Amino acid sequence: MRLSATTLLLIASPLMAQHAATYDGQRRITLKGAVTRIDWVNPEAFVFLNVRDAAGTVINWAVEVGNPLELERDGWKRTSVHTGDALTVEGIPARGAGAQALATSIVLDRTGQKIFAARAHAAAPARQPAPRWPDGQVRLGPPPGKKGYWGTAAADSLYDNSGGAIAMDREGLLRNIADAGRVAPFQPWAKALYEYRQRTLLKDDPLPRCLPPGGPRQFQTPNGFQFIEQRDLGRILVLLGGGDRNWRIIYTDGRPQGQADEVVRSYYGNSIGHWAKDTLVVDSIGFNERFWMSNGGLPHTEALHLIERFSRPDLNTLKYEVTVDDPRAYTRPWTGGWTIPWVPDQEIQEYFCEENAESTFSR
Amino acid sequence: MRWRAIHLGGLCAWLAFAALAQQGHPLTGTWSGDWGPTVTQRNAVTLVLNWDGKNITGLMNPGPDSVPLAGVYLDVANWTVRIEADGKDAAGKPVHISAEGKLDDLGSYHRTLKGTWQHGTVKGDFKLTRD
Repeated sequence: MRLSATTLLLIASPLMAQHAATYDGQRRITLKGAVTRIDWVNPEAFVFLNVRDAAGTVINWAVEVGNPLELERDGWKRTSVHTGDALTVEGIPARGAGAQALATSIVLDRTGQKIFAARAHAAAPARQPAPRWPDGQVRLGPPPGKKGYWGTAAADSLYDNSGGAIAMDREGLLRNIADAGRVAPFQPWAKALYEYRQRTLLKDDPLPRCLPPGGPRQFQTPNGFQFIEQRDLGRILVLLGGGDRNWRIIYTDGRPQGQADEVVRSYYGNSIGHWAKDTLVVDSIGFNERFWMSNGGLPHTEALHLIERFSRPDLNTLKYEVTVDDPRAYTRPWTGGWTIPWVPDQEIQEYFCEENAESTFSR
Repeated sequence: MRWRAIHLGGLCAWLAFAALAQQGHPLTGTWSGDWGPTVTQRNAVTLVLNWDGKNITGLMNPGPDSVPLAGVYLDVANWTVRIEADGKDAAGKPVHISAEGKLDDLGSYHRTLKGTWQHGTVKGDFKLTRD
């Protein structure tokens, strides 16, 4: 069992795009070793291998293979690989000296069978009408008798729509740092701080430290979310699969928004919603400053005021649009957004940040 | 075993970092530390700074003898800070206070500000840590 590493130029792939801050896309690695453990944990499953390096030292490598739900959909179960199986893994090593890699393919040595390949984007499902309540109001949850949840945002990060498309990876790292000024109408200090976070590869990101993903970022986590519409109570609960399974309450009972100076500061703010035809419009204030409101490290202050618009043009699509108004960080209000696909016939899997190997090992 | 050790080590590192994330405007918050002309002659200093969207405002040593800051200026090109204030000396005579420093460990909640301090004609250094 030997370890070899080669330096290759990475061709952009959906898999790598989600992990650019963790893994070094400029390198590839081949690992040959025996399985010591399988960590079938949402949102990222890991296989652990004992790999002998050139000096003969055995090192236990953590190989990330992707989301368990997606793996199961692709036919790879927890039992597809057993402890003791000898594997050959092609992958992308983590930045730094950690023994962690992101698998691009896995071959079971005893059969020669390729049992894993990095997932490609699935074809879009057929268009179906959005489900509705008996009174005609659009439902944000599953159709009656069904299950499902909202999955991973289609956009890579939040940015000002008026600036045109901006290339960045799934963690919000700009392909070109010179685009920073197009991301949002920053005040000078906020732009400098955003660029600092970008240049330091998001090393101070609160989310991997298990702090909640407040603001628009709650809809960017890879673990998905659900709306629970409690119409009799005049509120909508947003149950988040990421950020330690947090929840957020959007009041729709007609109560007025509080005074910004009197609202207790929180990660998710104070949210008041109403329906404008088929769009849920949510006004939120009262945020603390302890989170990054988007992948990529967009700054904000306690003056942050968000207007979010949720609409469901069809069963499988949630359109999310948010207007950011924070005069202490930005020179004017600005709007961004993305669509989010419906994940049918599934429930959000249990996930706790503290247990996630990526959070505790590579960050 | 090794992985478990790394895992626990990583968890400890996470716990150490969990409260250290950078927040909002880099100067907003309460900063405490000291200044002095020598390592043994030190004077406690507390600064309470706020960003209102246009200016950084603040107070030195909040309480009965607090001194409003006349000006606080942040240069984001190199994260340097200049502070100006007009206070009183021990005899109650007006004295001008100025300080110039640099923000360190910008991504940390408990980031630091250190540099030179002038209190009237007395020159020294200072170090403040964000509480």
